[in-house]
Amino acid sequence: MSKPIENNMSTTLPEGILGSKSKTVNKRKKGTLKAYLYLLPALLLLGIWMYRPLLSTFNLAFYQWGMVPGTTPVPVGWDNFVRLFSSKDFGISVSNTIFYTVGLLPFSIIIPLFLAVATHNMKGKMKNVYRAFFFIPLILAPVSVGAIWRWLFHPSNGLVNIMLVKLGVIEKNIAFFSDPLFAKWLVLLITGWKMIGFSTIMFSAALTGISKDYYEAVSLDGANTLQQFKDITLPLLSPMILFMVTMSILFSSQWSFAYIDILTAGGPFGTSTNIYYEMYKYGFSNLDVGMGSAAAVLFFIVFAFIALALNMLSKKYAFYDN
Amino acid sequence: MEQFKKRKGLFIAFFIAMLLVIFSACNTMPQSEEAASGSSNGGTTAQLGTLDPKNPTKITFYSYSLTYPSMKPGMEKLISDFNHTVGKEKGVIVEGVPDSDYQQHKADIAARKQVDVVQHTFPTLDAGKITLGFKAYEDVFPKDELEEHLVGISENALDLGRIDGKMYGLAFTFSTPIVFINGDLFEQAGLDPNDPPKTWTEIKKYALKIKEETGKDGFALPPDNGWITDGVLFSNGANILSEDRSEAVFANGETFEAIQIWKDIYQSGAHAIGSTTEASEQFMAGNLGMLVTSSALHSGMLDASKAGGWELYGVGLPQFSDKPSVPVNSGSALAVRPDSPEKNAAVWEFIKYVTGNEGYTTITSEIGYLPLRTDLADDPNYLKGFVDENPLYRVNLEQLERIRPATIWPGNYATEAFTIFTDAIVKAVSTDADIEKTITEAEDSINDLLN
Repeated sequence: MSKPIENNMSTTLPEGILGSKSKTVNKRKKGTLKAYLYLLPALLLLGIWMYRPLLSTFNLAFYQWGMVPGTTPVPVGWDNFVRLFSSKDFGISVSNTIFYTVGLLPFSIIIPLFLAVATHNMKGKMKNVYRAFFFIPLILAPVSVGAIWRWLFHPSNGLVNIMLVKLGVIEKNIAFFSDPLFAKWLVLLITGWKMIGFSTIMFSAALTGISKDYYEAVSLDGANTLQQFKDITLPLLSPMILFMVTMSILFSSQWSFAYIDILTAGGPFGTSTNIYYEMYKYGFSNLDVGMGSAAAVLFFIVFAFIALALNMLSKKYAFYDN
Repeated sequence: MEQFKKRKGLFIAFFIAMLLVIFSACNTMPQSEEAASGSSNGGTTAQLGTLDPKNPTKITFYSYSLTYPSMKPGMEKLISDFNHTVGKEKGVIVEGVPDSDYQQHKADIAARKQVDVVQHTFPTLDAGKITLGFKAYEDVFPKDELEEHLVGISENALDLGRIDGKMYGLAFTFSTPIVFINGDLFEQAGLDPNDPPKTWTEIKKYALKIKEETGKDGFALPPDNGWITDGVLFSNGANILSEDRSEAVFANGETFEAIQIWKDIYQSGAHAIGSTTEASEQFMAGNLGMLVTSSALHSGMLDASKAGGWELYGVGLPQFSDKPSVPVNSGSALAVRPDSPEKNAAVWEFIKYVTGNEGYTTITSEIGYLPLRTDLADDPNYLKGFVDENPLYRVNLEQLERIRPATIWPGNYATEAFTIFTDAIVKAVSTDADIEKTITEAEDSINDLLN
């Protein structure tokens, strides 16, 4: 970009002006240096807190180590990966990770979209009251939420069992969190229930950014509510929808972690675990940081590809109203 | 162009600088410090430093009992009693650190915090010895003092914490599984709580009777209990590990039979469903006839029965027909990792106190664990009065004669092996899965892991 100008200058301008040119270059250089100096603290912190652990993880995946000060990691080559693939719970945790990721999409996209649109046109205070209702689960601490759900679903004293028996839906009480049929669905439900509020707020915010003019224009043309939603709301929300899809896919395993830990501890017999919970178990319960790192490295690669794909998808399909 | 090049140069310089920072930080990490642990004691003579009451030595005590509501006050009393008596006099301050799920001490050791004494469970003691840097008692405490202190504790109990001939844990809080009984539900079902069931066959009969008459669940031994299972299998003559602990040997006829009987009760409709925690909650709420669990929960159960207005009874672990049952121990050992002669002395004072007469009196009467110095139960100066008032402790003490340690899974893969074992038991008992196949598969995968 600057090439033709420079050439121009060097051929046509007299000496004195050339001198001032090198001054401006110096000035610019200083400016650039300043910019990088401003960036330096952020880069340093990013390096120390993000990239250093990342590289350590890649490194540790080839060692066996219990993280105890005074002990030396033993290099084991690809052993950790071999053990990972032969581990009983690894396969289950991968398929459960997919289960939670896909299962969370209705809670992070479809229901919140509906709630956001439904509350958007409300007038007065009720709009905020409703939105607060949806949002409250998100700000509750996962541990206390987990405890409450655990009481509700208690096999003998829990409200859910008592009601289901009274209503005649079931004959015998169900131990929800000890039953492989229910455990992972409940973890999914509770994680989803927590997530609805967040997505709803995001969609509501995006909705306020859509100009009312569009709706007025199409309603003059006789479009009904459904058509308005399909032709205006959806396309104009598409960047936010794709963003939420990305978030949901990449973070679903982390969001379900707390409930797996509190409600089922991965059980019964490992049927509700996911990859993050397994990583935590390898590293901090079995004190085998090598195997935890090996799992982390694999998932870093897999999720990096997913993130790239989603990014491309988002570039292709998101519609921005400029 | 030139500017761009310069800018690019600058950028690359920054990038390289960043990489250097990252890598230099990285390199310091895996090499680790070898000096941290083995300075003063090469395993030969133990040195006790001198303590100074004016300038007390602080040690940390990581305890899971500090996280259970029914045990916390007792454990706090134990620590504070020490600090106010021996500790004050000799110059030691103990700080109790709650260690829920036995994870906190690992995290803190990894984070290089000071971790001196850990209330450590038995099944993973070997793994802890390898990965957490625990020291053998013989290496850090003087031999004659150690021998003198251990008099009065049964050799059986001391063996539990011995690995490869050295003591890496001194048995501390200790309990056996017993059957807690809700006397009121028994009476409502027309049963006599003073004549409780002794065999598994009777357990099933009683449980079904309770279910039939009261509508409440009759019995629970949750399959995810983690340690009582060992006792059930031992009672039927099965072993879990080979004698040298190098191989899992639990997939055999005795195990299959024991699990079949358990599964039969589980699926009879009279067995409470759910996890160990859920079954305890159910029993404490007065909705369960019999529960097999650690006698350590006695104080909590007693409070619940008083609050709910029912009587608490108990009996020993049931047996298979005429074979006497073999209870296992739950509970913990004290594992230590002092790192200086002063610490050796400070830790030793604390260990002597909590596993001495005063310590066990508090542990039994305030927390609910058994006195490892069993003579205290008949000593009017210490626990006789308490045990007479709470006859359930006799059940427990009688069982100590037949006790076998719960399995200590070997080495580095202890936690993984333990998980595979427990998962298989849960699956075999609580689902329709084929017992033989499930158990044999678990044995195979554990042996793959160990060899």
